[in-house]
Amino acid sequence: MFDSLDISASALLAQRTRMDTIAGNIANMNTTRNTRGEAVPYRRRFAVFASGRPDAPGKVGVSVAKIEIDRGPFRKEYQPSHPDADKEGYVSYPNVDLAVEYVNALEASRAYEANVTAMEVSKAMMNASLRLLA
Amino acid sequence: MLIEGLMNRGNGALLEQVVNFASQRHKLILENIANVDTPGYRQKDLSVERFSSMLRERVDQRRRTGSASFDDTGSKVEYPMRGILFHDRNNRSMEQLATDMAKNAMMHNLAIELLRKQFQQMDMALREKVV
Repeated sequence: MFDSLDISASALLAQRTRMDTIAGNIANMNTTRNTRGEAVPYRRRFAVFASGRPDAPGKVGVSVAKIEIDRGPFRKEYQPSHPDADKEGYVSYPNVDLAVEYVNALEASRAYEANVTAMEVSKAMMNASLRLLA
Repeated sequence: MLIEGLMNRGNGALLEQVVNFASQRHKLILENIANVDTPGYRQKDLSVERFSSMLRERVDQRRRTGSASFDDTGSKVEYPMRGILFHDRNNRSMEQLATDMAKNAMMHNLAIELLRKQFQQMDMALREKVV
């Protein structure tokens, strides 16, 4: 009975990780340079979920299999005076679409809420069972 | 021996199976909710109909023969196709999951409450006084 909370907890962790990648995408939506200062724009990242838990074999739940990098094309903007502009005067901006990120963030937070509610139900059931002892 | 007889004659064994079934099903529902965004995940469930018909069978058997085992009434995991299959090959249905979870929790709590009442009565009988 008690491991039912672990199932929901694994989903909370996975959804939060997803939320972190979304926050990272939105924060970097105008980043045109990498950590070394080269003119390489940030690429959108997204979490890939997989059923099961590698950290606890045999237990059910969900986990983030890996954080993928979006290979889609960069957003081009004509800004000849920008230091990171190419020969034609275009600046490559990250391939982050704010609308997509918002929708994903909403989905992640709703899924998080659903799992919290599921945990509440589990707790209520456990409480009822434990009252048999009293 | 007396206690065992008391426990097995009434609904005790039956209710125990209901509680077992409900907690097993609850775990599957939780897994489904956890995997609501996992691509390719197939929803799992236990059949309530099969469980209740199996239980009914055992009760009938006990009535006819005087004894029946209530162990091993758990059904096996099914993969029901309901709702829409989304593009990520996940057939989630949040509303269905929420209703199933609520119904299942109620069934569980009802069985627990009935068991509790039964234990209380037994306690009362043993102590020979009304609490």
